[in-house]
Amino acid sequence: MSNAAEVVQEQEIDLTAANEVIDKYLHMKGALMPVLQEIQEAYGYIPEPTVHLVAERLNVYTSQIFGVLTFYAQFHLEPRGKYIIRVCMGTACHVKGASRLGDTLKERLGISHAETTEDLKFTAEFVACIGACGMAPVIMVNDATYGNLSVQKMSEVLQKYQGME
Amino acid sequence: MVNLTIDGKQVTVSKAATIYEAALEAGIHIPVLCYAKKLLPYGACRVCLVEVEQMKGRLIPSCTTPVTQGMVVTTTSAEINKVRKTVLEFLLVNHVVECPVCDKGGECDLQDLTFEHEVYPNRFTGEKFALPTDEVNPLIERNMNRCVLCGKCARVCDEIVAFGSYSFINRGFESKIATAFDRGLNCEFCGQCVSMCPVGAILPRPFKFKARPWQLKEVDSVCGYCGNGCTVTLGVLKDKVETIRFNDKTGVNDGNLCIRGRFGYSYVNSEDRLTKPLVRKDGKLVQTDWKEALDTVVSGFAKARAEKGVGIVTGARLTNEELFLLKNLAKAMGTGNLDHSGGESYKGVTEGLFETLGVTASTATFPQVEECDTILSIRSDFYETHPVFGMVVNQAVKRHDAHLIVIADKRGKFGKLPHAETLLAKPGLEVNILNAMAQSLLADGLAITDGVEGVVELQAALADYTPELVAAQTGVPAAAIRAAAQQLAKAKKSAILLAYGLPYTAHSRELGIAAANLAILTGIPGREGSGLYLCGEKANSQGAIDLQIVPGKEALDSQSMFQAAAAGTLSALYIVGEDPLTSYPDRKKIETALDKVPFLVVQDIFLSPTAQQADVVLPAASFAEKDGTFTNAERRLQRVRQGIPLPGEAKTDYAIFELLAGRFGKQVSFTGPEAVFSQIAASTPGYGGIEYGAIGPQGVVWGGDLLAVKRRKVVAVAGGKPVETPYQLITGSSLYHNGTVSTRATGPLAVIPSPFVELGREDASTLQVKEGDLLTLRANGVEIKLAAKIDTRMPKGVLFAPYHFSSAGLNRIFTGQAAVPVEVSK
Repeated sequence: MSNAAEVVQEQEIDLTAANEVIDKYLHMKGALMPVLQEIQEAYGYIPEPTVHLVAERLNVYTSQIFGVLTFYAQFHLEPRGKYIIRVCMGTACHVKGASRLGDTLKERLGISHAETTEDLKFTAEFVACIGACGMAPVIMVNDATYGNLSVQKMSEVLQKYQGME
Repeated sequence: MVNLTIDGKQVTVSKAATIYEAALEAGIHIPVLCYAKKLLPYGACRVCLVEVEQMKGRLIPSCTTPVTQGMVVTTTSAEINKVRKTVLEFLLVNHVVECPVCDKGGECDLQDLTFEHEVYPNRFTGEKFALPTDEVNPLIERNMNRCVLCGKCARVCDEIVAFGSYSFINRGFESKIATAFDRGLNCEFCGQCVSMCPVGAILPRPFKFKARPWQLKEVDSVCGYCGNGCTVTLGVLKDKVETIRFNDKTGVNDGNLCIRGRFGYSYVNSEDRLTKPLVRKDGKLVQTDWKEALDTVVSGFAKARAEKGVGIVTGARLTNEELFLLKNLAKAMGTGNLDHSGGESYKGVTEGLFETLGVTASTATFPQVEECDTILSIRSDFYETHPVFGMVVNQAVKRHDAHLIVIADKRGKFGKLPHAETLLAKPGLEVNILNAMAQSLLADGLAITDGVEGVVELQAALADYTPELVAAQTGVPAAAIRAAAQQLAKAKKSAILLAYGLPYTAHSRELGIAAANLAILTGIPGREGSGLYLCGEKANSQGAIDLQIVPGKEALDSQSMFQAAAAGTLSALYIVGEDPLTSYPDRKKIETALDKVPFLVVQDIFLSPTAQQADVVLPAASFAEKDGTFTNAERRLQRVRQGIPLPGEAKTDYAIFELLAGRFGKQVSFTGPEAVFSQIAASTPGYGGIEYGAIGPQGVVWGGDLLAVKRRKVVAVAGGKPVETPYQLITGSSLYHNGTVSTRATGPLAVIPSPFVELGREDASTLQVKEGDLLTLRANGVEIKLAAKIDTRMPKGVLFAPYHFSSAGLNRIFTGQAAVPVEVSK
C-alpha cells in the first residue's frame, strides 16, 4: 500500500497445489492448521506466496497466519532439503559425543542446525531427545534411524546419502 | 443489575460489567496495562489482579472477570501489591528503560506503575531485548524493546480497524508483536496502535523529540477534514501544533482517528501557507497589505455588481459562523449567486431527502449504527470516505453480528467481514439496484406502505426495474438483490449509508431519493435505532446545508456561475476555501471561466492552482486557528477551538467577511462567534434553543438523536445507463486524502505521495502493466498519464483514480459522469 516499506521481491511459484488444498477446506471452520500442514506437504515448506493466498481465500490476516507459522516448530518458511538429518542432542547422546556428530555434519556438508545445503539436498536439525537413547549417539535421516554412531560411521552414512539422488 | 462490594463500598452495576469496570464506575482505581475501554477484555498483563472472597486461593484478573451478585472484592492488599510488583519486575527485566529519550516519558503506564509500586531495585536481572526498531515509514515508529506484550495494538487493528497488521509471533522469550513476515509496517497508517500503546513501543514519528508531553497545551477541537466530525485534541507547544493527542473522553469518535486526523494536521504548519494578501500587478501576484487588498476587492466587486454581477463559491470547511457572515455579505453585495462544494453533490440531501422526507439531514446519529442488525452502504464500504464512522460499521458487524450489504463498483475492506457481502455492480448503476430492491419489496408485499405517499406511482414506475432486468444491466444476481431487500425489510434496527462529495456529482439527487425510498419502504424514518445517513465530504458540509449556502431564487448555482463566467456573462467570482481548478469536474470549463472572468478573488490558506489565477488573494485561517462550530454528518454541532495564532498577517474568514460586509455598508460586527451563533440559532431551522456555551464535550445534535421527518413520500427516479466501453474510469475520495488540502499535509503524503490509477490484476495482465508503470488514459480527445496501482479490489474493466491531486489533471477527462469511458494504453 505504501511505497515507504521495503520492496519485497515476489517469488514466482505455482499455486495450483495450494489452491487445491484450500479448495478442500474452504468451508470448514478452523481449517488453518490442516491447510498449512498440507501446503507444507505439497511444497516441502511454506512459500510466502501461499501464505498470501491462504490469507486471501480463507479471509485470515497474513499477520495472524505468520503468528501461527512462527509459533509451531513444525512449519518451515524456507525451502528444506530432500533429506532431513536430525542429530539427537538429548542427554544420552550428548554424553556419548553427539556434538562431534554435529561437527562432522558441518565438515562434510557445510551445514549446521536449521541450515540447508544450496542444492536443497540436505537440511540439518539438532533436536532434543528422539527417544532412542539405547542407541546413543543417534541420528535420523528422514524416517531411517542410525544408532551407535562414531564419526567414522556418521561419515559413511552421509556418504551413502550423498551418492543417492 | 448486580450488587457487589468493592473495598467495602456497595456497588450496583450492569451484569455485563467486569470487576474492573465496576470499580471504575465506583471511582476505585485498579492499575491496568492491557485494558482499554473500547477493546474486548484480554487479560494479558496480570497487573489488575484482585482478591474475591468467593474465589479464594488465587488472585483474579479484574478486567476479564464478570461481576456476580454478592461478590466481595478487595483491590489492594499487601499480597496483591506484592504480586503486582513482581509482575512489574518481570516486565522490567527485558524492557529497555530509555525514559529520558522516550516520547512516552511522562505519560507511560509502565513508568507510572513502576513509580507507584516503587519497583526499585529490581530483584531480577536478565537479558534485555535487543530487537531492531522499525523506522522504515515516516509516521509510526516501532521499538519492540519497549513492548510489554499487552496486545492492544494487534487488538485495535483487528477489532476496530479490521486491517490486522499485527500479530504475536514466535514463542517464549522470543515472542513479540510483529507484522506479517516481520517486516516494516505497511498499512493504512491510521495510528490507532499509537493511540493504544501503553508504553513507548509504538510512537508517532513526526512527534519525535518535539516536546515532552507535559509541556503541551491541549486544545480540544474538531478535525478539519471530513464530515465525520472527530474530536482532535491539538498538542500545542510554542504556538505550533506538534501532535494530535489521544482523547477518548470527548466527541463522537471514542478516541479513534484515521490517518488524516492523526497525521494530517501538518498542513497548518506548512511553510507554504499564505501569510500576506496578494494583488495582481502587471500580470504578477505581489504581496501587499490588507488595506490595498480590501480596497481592490471592494472596488472590483462594486464595479462587477454594476455590470454583470458577482458569484460566490465557498467550500464546506468554514465554520457555521463564517458561513452565516458570508451569507450576510452576499446580501450586502446584493447577489444571490451563492453556492458551496460544487453545487451538485449535495442535492441528494437538499433535493432528494427534502422531496421524500421533508428534511435535509441524516435522520439518526453515528453511535446508533453500532447496534444495528442490518446496514446497507451505498457506493462504497464507507470506510474510504468516512473512516472513523466506518470503524463503527465494522464494530456493528464484528461485535454485534450485523449484516452488512455494500452496493458498490469496487470491493472494500469491509466486504470481507463475516456477515458482509458486496453487490458488485457496474459503475453508475447504484440507483438501478436500489430501485430493484424497492420493486421487489413492493411486489412481494414486504414494503411498509401505510401513510406513505406515492406508492402506486412508484410501483408503476418501477416496472422496468425488476431484479431480473436490473441483474442483466448491473451484473448483480437477481437473487442477491432480492435477498438484500428482504434482509432490510426484516431488520429491526437498520441503517442506510450514502457518502457524498465533490467527486460524486452524478445522480446525486436520484441516489438520495432512491435511498430514501428504500428507507421509507422498510420503515427506517422515525424508528428507534434506525437511520438514513447522507454524509458530506467536508468538516462542515452539513452546516453549509443547514445554513442554506445555496443559490437564491433565480440565482446561479456554482456550475452555472462558472458557465456564465466562461461565457462572459458574469463579472466577478469570489472563491472561498475551494480549489475548483483541481477538484471540480471539467477543468476546461473552470479554466475558461477563471480566464474570462474580469475579476477573481480567492480566499484560501494556500496559493492553490485556482488562487494562482486570481486578481486578489486573501490569506485565511485553518481549522486550528479559529473558533466557532462545525455541524458533522449526523447533525452534531461541535466547538472548533483556536489552538495556534494565525500565520503572518492571515485573517480568519470570519474577520475578512466582517471587514468586507462593513465596506459594503452592512455592519455585521458581532462580538465573536458566540454572538453570531445566537443569530444562527434564531434563524436556522433545527438550531433554535441551542446555546453556544452549552455545546459540551459531546456536542449537541440538533433535531435530537432521531430526527422527526415531515413526510414519507416515495418518488420514482430513473437509474443510470451502463458504460459499454471495455474500460471505464471512476473517481472518488481515497482513504488517505480528503479534498485537496491533504495534499499539503506530510502525513497523508507520506503514504500516498502522488496521483495514481488503480486497476485489477486481470486488466493489468491484459494491458501488460506493472505496478508504477505510467498508463495513458484517453477520453473526450484528452489524454492524461497516471501511475498504475494494481490490486485485487477493482473489477475487470473498471479503473479508479482519486481526485485530490491537481497534477493528475483527472478533471480534464472527468466532467461529472458516474463513469468515464476511457481508452487505456501503456
